[in-house]
Amino acid sequence: MKKTVSYYVKKYIWLFAIGIAADIMVDLAQTYVPEFLGAIVDIVSIGSDNALMEVSGLMKKLLLIALILMAGRALMRFALMSASQRIEAHIRHDMFRKAERLSQRYYHENKIGTIMSWFSSDVEAIEEFTGWGTIMFTDALFLSAVSLIKMLKMDVLLSAIAVTPMLGLIIWGNRVEKIMSDKWEERQKQFDRLYDFTQETFTGIRVIKAFVKEAQELKAFSKVAKDNADSNLEFARLSISFDVWIEMIIGVTITLLLGLGSYFVYRTSLNNPFILFDHAVVMTVGRLMTFIGYVDTLIWPMIAMGQIMQMHSRFRTSSQRIYSFLDQEEEIRDSENAIELTDCKGKIVFNHLSFAYPDSDIHSLNDISFEIKPGEMIGVVGKIGSGKSTLVNSLLRLYNIERGTIMIDDIDLMDIKIKSLRDNIAYVPQDNFLFSDNIKNNISFARSSASMNDIRAAARFADVDDNILAFSEGYETVTGERGVTLSGGQKQRIAIARAYIKDAPIMIMDDSVSAVDMKTEETILNNIYEKRKGRTTIIIASRVSTVAHLDRILVLKDGKVEAFDTPENLLKISPTYERMVYLQKLESEL
Amino acid sequence: MNEELEKLKGDRKLPLSVIISRTLRYIKDEKGSFVLSLVLLMLNVVLDSVTPLFTSKITDLLVEDNINIRLILDLVFVSFAIMCINQLFLYIESQILQKSGQRIIYRLRNEIFEHIENMSLNQFNEMPVGSLVTRVTSYTASMSDLFTGVLVRILRDFTTIVGVYAIMFYISPSLSFSMLGIVVTVFVISYIFSKTVKEIFRKERACISDLNTFLSENLAGMKLTQVFNQEETKDEQFCEKNDKLRKQRFNVTKAFGVYRPLISFIYNASIALCFYLGIRYGLSAGEIVAFYLYLSKFFNPIQNLADQLNSLQRALTASERIFNLLDVKPDVLDKEDAIYIEKFKGKIEFRNVWFAYKEDNWILKDVSFVIEPGDTCAFVGATGAGKTTILSLIVRNYEVQKGEILIDDININDIQIACLRRAAGQMLQDVFLFSGTIKDNITLYDESFTDEEIREACIYVNADSFIDRLPKGVDEEIIEKGENLSQGQRQLLSFARTVIHRPQILILDEATANIDTETEVLIQESLEKMKSIGTMLVVAHRLSTIQHADQIIVLQNGEIVERGDHQALLKNRGYYYKLYQLQFEN
Repeated sequence: MKKTVSYYVKKYIWLFAIGIAADIMVDLAQTYVPEFLGAIVDIVSIGSDNALMEVSGLMKKLLLIALILMAGRALMRFALMSASQRIEAHIRHDMFRKAERLSQRYYHENKIGTIMSWFSSDVEAIEEFTGWGTIMFTDALFLSAVSLIKMLKMDVLLSAIAVTPMLGLIIWGNRVEKIMSDKWEERQKQFDRLYDFTQETFTGIRVIKAFVKEAQELKAFSKVAKDNADSNLEFARLSISFDVWIEMIIGVTITLLLGLGSYFVYRTSLNNPFILFDHAVVMTVGRLMTFIGYVDTLIWPMIAMGQIMQMHSRFRTSSQRIYSFLDQEEEIRDSENAIELTDCKGKIVFNHLSFAYPDSDIHSLNDISFEIKPGEMIGVVGKIGSGKSTLVNSLLRLYNIERGTIMIDDIDLMDIKIKSLRDNIAYVPQDNFLFSDNIKNNISFARSSASMNDIRAAARFADVDDNILAFSEGYETVTGERGVTLSGGQKQRIAIARAYIKDAPIMIMDDSVSAVDMKTEETILNNIYEKRKGRTTIIIASRVSTVAHLDRILVLKDGKVEAFDTPENLLKISPTYERMVYLQKLESEL
Repeated sequence: MNEELEKLKGDRKLPLSVIISRTLRYIKDEKGSFVLSLVLLMLNVVLDSVTPLFTSKITDLLVEDNINIRLILDLVFVSFAIMCINQLFLYIESQILQKSGQRIIYRLRNEIFEHIENMSLNQFNEMPVGSLVTRVTSYTASMSDLFTGVLVRILRDFTTIVGVYAIMFYISPSLSFSMLGIVVTVFVISYIFSKTVKEIFRKERACISDLNTFLSENLAGMKLTQVFNQEETKDEQFCEKNDKLRKQRFNVTKAFGVYRPLISFIYNASIALCFYLGIRYGLSAGEIVAFYLYLSKFFNPIQNLADQLNSLQRALTASERIFNLLDVKPDVLDKEDAIYIEKFKGKIEFRNVWFAYKEDNWILKDVSFVIEPGDTCAFVGATGAGKTTILSLIVRNYEVQKGEILIDDININDIQIACLRRAAGQMLQDVFLFSGTIKDNITLYDESFTDEEIREACIYVNADSFIDRLPKGVDEEIIEKGENLSQGQRQLLSFARTVIHRPQILILDEATANIDTETEVLIQESLEKMKSIGTMLVVAHRLSTIQHADQIIVLQNGEIVERGDHQALLKNRGYYYKLYQLQFEN
């Protein structure tokens, strides 16, 4: 189902209802405050004897209004902000769920940074509009409506005088917001330019120093810095002049009201009220003050109009981006009659498999056919780009392949439930990616129920137990940016333990011991022979030593099978393998 | 910005007095504008504070039995005039402040930029580029804001509070006195609030950065999650962080949702109190109106003061960080009597050179060799043998610990760094490309090169063929640091870049990456030609480069183990022979 923001709003409609109701209550209460000033002024001007009594009554009412205002404002914020924050979290969660279901192709085609910005700034734009946008919009609507009605009730003529410049304020405010946000962007662009320039210079400082371009670079920097200063000044100049203009509009309005209003009060006091079109303007000092108070409450909503529109346009573009992400097609899906892979024996047949990555027209794999017997341990060798990792990617169904080209236990890979397929494969990736978490959790990644014994057994399998215990926090040691930096070899071995603990019928190691020393490699290989005996194991390697004692070795060349045979036979039939063996010997002599 | 992450090694606390006095030095040049804007600011505060008096007076006049309408209209007019003048002053004042502020930032940025540029590569390696960039771009703005923003605002708010209170006191001492309690309450509440909210914001930022770290890691490692069927677990972890952020956001809402309404209540309550007491103390209608108007002028600055203290703290930290950076002295500098050499013959000699990037971890151990002018010398050896280090020592990117390096029999420490580097054309392994066009990257934005010269250089190094195939030729834009060019093409560009700058010594660190055959041939030809330019030192990864070298120096663990030409070394059947087979016959 396609979800739009209104879907999420409906989910929290009660919070919105409460918040908007509270907001309206605040708006109504707020317009009472100016009436008190007027009443007090009139009481004083009449100078009645029980003024203090009357005032204390008013004071109690005013305090009550103040209490209502406080409660209403708090309730409004709590309800509406809570709703918008819930929507924000909800959308972000739906996005993450989507991200989990998107294929590797999607991640190759889109930069992480871009996806991240949808998760942060775009979701925040929705939060801003549903939260503050609602508050401001309700305010603008009701506060101005109520004030206006009360003003009209008092005097139509004065209202007309007050509202005319106010209309200017709406138009002006709108224009200002538009221009200012353009200028703000311009200013931001200049800052980014300064930032990028500085970053580029410092990153390329070797070149700058090599060619003695420091002085010239400084000159170029000065120019960028100057442009930056200029755009800042331009922004500041506009911003302050717009403020000044808004103040002037307000000033003119108040001056007109004060001047004309005073004149009307004067005429009223002479019992000769000012008359226009048969309309007599009857005015007292207190009422004039109240009126000016109303006008005062009108100012903010007028200015807010422009802000709301800006917010709305940000909201529109951001929500478009989010919808398009949420609507992305999930390519890697179970086929209609997909079945579970149960009691997997580990027989794998490649049957004329050819594969080209979506964005390329070169076949990474070309007509690959071979058969791995149940429980066999095979090696895969070949130069960079010969298709080793692509072979694994197809087997893990990270990409869709043609039907019938890979069979596991004689079932078409495309007909196996993806979850069940992957459950049956223990995989050690080439990039030895670890999550920033403690080592224990990294190893038990696939089996959170694993006991400490299981975890240590897996670590011993990967010959990394001793290393882990040597850390001051042992298995609790956190890896990654915020924790300890592990060596490439340590990471690889933890990745091996992470796969091993799955105890899966098929294990795939994609060049997973390249960074460990010979002795450790030997230990790990011995563990593999012993512990994974009789279970299908595929070891991709760049060194011959890694695969020399396996049952059979697949030699790939330019995406094709060069040979698939026992190590002894390969020496005779595979030139690539023979060359690798020779170089390896040479290296060990160095 | 995350202040903790931006910290550099060697940052230390400076006494407040030092920070202030050093910062003051930067505004010395702006003294005139500063004083002028302060005067305007004071006038501003005064004019702003007297305007309610007019409304008050008008009210009083309107209450009288015989209304003097002339006087009232005059007063209305005068108050309008004052407002206009006030706005004019405000405009001028902020313009002056902005201009001098921007001038300060501009000068400060130039100074820091130049300072950083002059640091040695060793110093560069110790400082993350991101932090340096922040100091040039953001911290400079914060530091200038100290005088042109923060202090000015504090001054304005403070004088407004004092001024407004003084007028209120003048109107009615007793009523003002009663209001004092409210003033203090608002200030205390605001102070507590700003402390609390600072902490809440900090936690919110931490939650955001936590969630973002999780997201970027998990988007990057999504393959693993999918392969290991851990979508559910990751989803739970995400929800936890997502929810934590939501709750923290709500804490912000709670803080503001209590504070703002509370202040508005106090404000309204004080209006009520002021009405009641106003009548009790027998104030006139106008005086009550005046109090009503002044109260609103009063509340904003008190609320702001607490926030301003936080800004002040930020500005001071920024200044401190900038001074810390400026206090780092560049460690590779010209000697005072360093000599200038127009042209080198190109003899290069290492005499018992020992070098370590970090103490005692010797990269080069007692290395000695001589390269005659015009010769080509190739350095070979395993990764980490010290080949690249030798090349960077010749141009004094680092200082050697023991021994000496001589060019034309002069110790390089006695030669001006600039002329030394100008003489040595360096072609580094990863070709760094700047944003801009191909042309910009050849000339390095030096406009004194003619199009002819650029063309010649391109032809000389065989870069013309691929450049001509680009739609815009040399004016083609470099995209994403050179993603639109192949590794080999980038090498050719760096050759052109070097050749056009007319060096007498060529230093080349060959790229190890795979280069397509067509470009490979172009590179080889071009290298052959470049040999005739002058002395050439190459960290070689290419067989042809080595074969044609006059001298090959074989390094192992920072020591020279063999030297000679290709044939002689092969005959030796030693280390070189094996290395050769491993690296070049594959």
